[in-house]
Amino acid sequence: MALRDQLRVLVVDDMSTSRGLITQALDGMGVSHVSTAADGPSALESVARSPVHLVISDFNMPGMDGLQLLQSLRQGAKTAGVGFLLITGRADKEIIERGRSLRMNNYIAKPFQPADLKTAIEAIVGRL
Amino acid sequence: MSDPMQEIRNSFFIECDELLEGLQDALASMEGGDHTSETINVAFRAVHSIKGGAGAFGLDQLVGFAHTFETVMDDVRSGSLAIEEHIVQLFFQCADMLSDLVRVSRDGELLSEDEMAPLVNQLKALAGEDAAGGAEPEPEVDFQPMGIAIDLPDLDLPDLDQSDDAPEEESSAGAPADQGEAIEAEGADAGERDVNDASALSHLFEITFRPEPELYRTGNDPLFLLRALEALGRAETTCTVAPSPDLAEYGPNTSLLSWKITLSTNVDAAAIREVFDFVDGLCLLEVTKLEPGSEAEAGTAPAQPADSAPEPAITASPPAEAPRKAAPAAPAPKPAATQDTPPKAAPKPEADADRAGGPGQASQPGATVRVDLDRVDRLVNLVGELVINQAMLSQSIAATGLSGNSKIATGLDEFQQLTRDIQDSVMMIRAQPVKSLFQRMGRIVREASASVNKTVRLRTEGETTEIDKTVIERLADPLTHMIRNAVDHGLESTETRLAAGKSAEGHVTLSASHRSGRVVIEITDDGSGINRERVKSIAESKGLIAPGQDLSETEIDNLLFLPGFSTAKEISNLSGRGVGMDVVKNAISSLGGRIAISSQAGVGTTFSISLPLTLAVLDGMVVTVADETLVLPLSSVSETLSIGPEDVRGLGPSTQVIRVRDVFVPLIDLGTELGYSQPRSKYDGAIVLLIAQEDGKRAALVVDGIEDQRQVVIKGLEESYGRVPGVAAATILGDGQIALILDPTDLLANASGRSRPEPNLAIA
Repeated sequence: MALRDQLRVLVVDDMSTSRGLITQALDGMGVSHVSTAADGPSALESVARSPVHLVISDFNMPGMDGLQLLQSLRQGAKTAGVGFLLITGRADKEIIERGRSLRMNNYIAKPFQPADLKTAIEAIVGRL
Repeated sequence: MSDPMQEIRNSFFIECDELLEGLQDALASMEGGDHTSETINVAFRAVHSIKGGAGAFGLDQLVGFAHTFETVMDDVRSGSLAIEEHIVQLFFQCADMLSDLVRVSRDGELLSEDEMAPLVNQLKALAGEDAAGGAEPEPEVDFQPMGIAIDLPDLDLPDLDQSDDAPEEESSAGAPADQGEAIEAEGADAGERDVNDASALSHLFEITFRPEPELYRTGNDPLFLLRALEALGRAETTCTVAPSPDLAEYGPNTSLLSWKITLSTNVDAAAIREVFDFVDGLCLLEVTKLEPGSEAEAGTAPAQPADSAPEPAITASPPAEAPRKAAPAAPAPKPAATQDTPPKAAPKPEADADRAGGPGQASQPGATVRVDLDRVDRLVNLVGELVINQAMLSQSIAATGLSGNSKIATGLDEFQQLTRDIQDSVMMIRAQPVKSLFQRMGRIVREASASVNKTVRLRTEGETTEIDKTVIERLADPLTHMIRNAVDHGLESTETRLAAGKSAEGHVTLSASHRSGRVVIEITDDGSGINRERVKSIAESKGLIAPGQDLSETEIDNLLFLPGFSTAKEISNLSGRGVGMDVVKNAISSLGGRIAISSQAGVGTTFSISLPLTLAVLDGMVVTVADETLVLPLSSVSETLSIGPEDVRGLGPSTQVIRVRDVFVPLIDLGTELGYSQPRSKYDGAIVLLIAQEDGKRAALVVDGIEDQRQVVIKGLEESYGRVPGVAAATILGDGQIALILDPTDLLANASGRSRPEPNLAIA
């Protein structure tokens, strides 16, 4: 049983297009246990209800940005250890540094190809 | 199933429209002085998100422009560029350009670089020193990814430690891999559910659910019901396949599965039964309340033997796997192994649902559903049929002579009320706020005012007012023209305004509101008002009215709607596009709308458009002509009269008129006009419908009788018959008869030479 069959992922992005694209890319990698959330608060709600191994989140979202979401996840007793992959518009040094201090597991800069996403995910969870 | 990427691409463009709308809103706020970081962020994010999505679809031109735009916005966001009026105006233009780019990208086309260059250069100039850096690839940031350990055999989710049941489930998941995917998935799902168990769930129920074949035949899916149950608390679901019958008994119409659900919940039995409301009578349902404690273990018991089951029984009897939706209704003793391998049927679809993002989205508050318009239209049509059906039923019951307070009659009243409510609700699905339309007008004002060198501000009111989507779409052109007119003709030049003691900036207000079952859209300018002397002299010079004719102010204003009327001294490059107000008026009429003008010299002009809420139903007057039943829109009938021969006068060889309160109105015999009957020799006791048009044109339609006034459901004919002059559509009446709905405007315009309708012929 490969990792990809069991890996549970939550995709967080305020744009449904991005959620669709990432879900589609994950599907292409054979990762099918994917749920989605449109903003930070519903992402937190979702992981509380059904835990995941990995959260893939956009940085730039209204209300709670990706790193604020990461911070809340790290503060939650049950979610502190969850894998976190940040999607950024550009590799802004300041954002990356903030992420590092919050134990962000990896980041990927837009635009990316499904293969880039796979590499970024595998760097966190191991070979899919 | 269409290509998923294509679907995502389509949804991207829909999302772009929403983002562009958000961008317009944010820019409008900025223009109004709101320079808070949240507002600027909203604008920035909109451009950023469009860029991000466009990148995924390789829309390079869109990405490039969005990037340049975003770079400057980022400077504003960071405070290195001050928000000044000209910056906001530039952003507005960029938003328009972005919107153009999105539009052409949708069709796989590009804008010419020349067209984009001026704005791009302005943006780049603003970005200045930043521009070069912005386009460069990002500087390398040193970041070492941090791995996490995922212990596969235990499916060690980071936070699955609090559940009592977890060890059992884990052992299940940890069973040899050849047990099959479905079992594995169930392990994970059970883990997921265990999280729910955190708080105390006070009741325990055992629910037995066995669908009858009829349940499947009526398109119901047990999965939805099982999910609904799960939503009520913590559910242990086991599925049972009836003892495998002969292969011959398998079939699409047999029902082989039943489910037993042990549900820990806080709701009562009634709430559980409610879940099955829709399949009442289509399934066997037993809801038994269990005592917590003793039975609780019994409830979870079936899960355990699953671990020891050497092979899923379903796999052992291959045929059972195929008819997932099939099980014989007859319950029978089942082999233990079969009983213990329930997950096979249920979890698979659940996994699919997960993939679709089901659970994540269900919890989002204020969520919306995007539905194909075709589906909504189908529903609208069906409800239309329902209304007709209900009317037919009422009519045939009335024909039996039942008393008004019989149970049937009162039941029918309620049915009628419900039908109306359903109809209103369905129409509401098609309704959209006028906001998107109004926003487009912002751009028209910007472009129009720039080309005639006026400073104009557009104010909008009642943007949340909703109208039928089709009405909104078909309103765009006439509204555009009227807005251009308001900027071009309505408002004075800046110098004239200043001389008149007005603000240099002209104002155009676009408002929408609900008024007595219709939507009223008003376009108001604070210009000089209609110069009635000039309008009149132009109309005279063009032969539209007789010289020296005495007209009221309203009548003069309405001259603007006459074909070929144009007041512009020189044709400016805005309004003079060969489209006159007559075209606007026709467009509005074709939507069942009316348009009116009010104007005050020196203060301004208001064009007021009144529209029906929907195009699907119509208040009609049902009339008979030569044994044919016809429907006329009630809105166009201003008066009904009974006339005698003495009221009819000949005017020339072929035109007849009647005199209505000192005004002669041309007479049109509907029967003759439509070719149903020969011209009548005398008008003894004939009934006349006075048709009044917005422009004041009137005509008198002669009919044989008036049957009724009622709401009719519009059934388009154009698809089947093309456009038939004088006929707007058809409808089905209560008795099942089909009646044509006439288009009075068209009818009058096409009326044969015998009785050409004229503008009011006042009696001297």
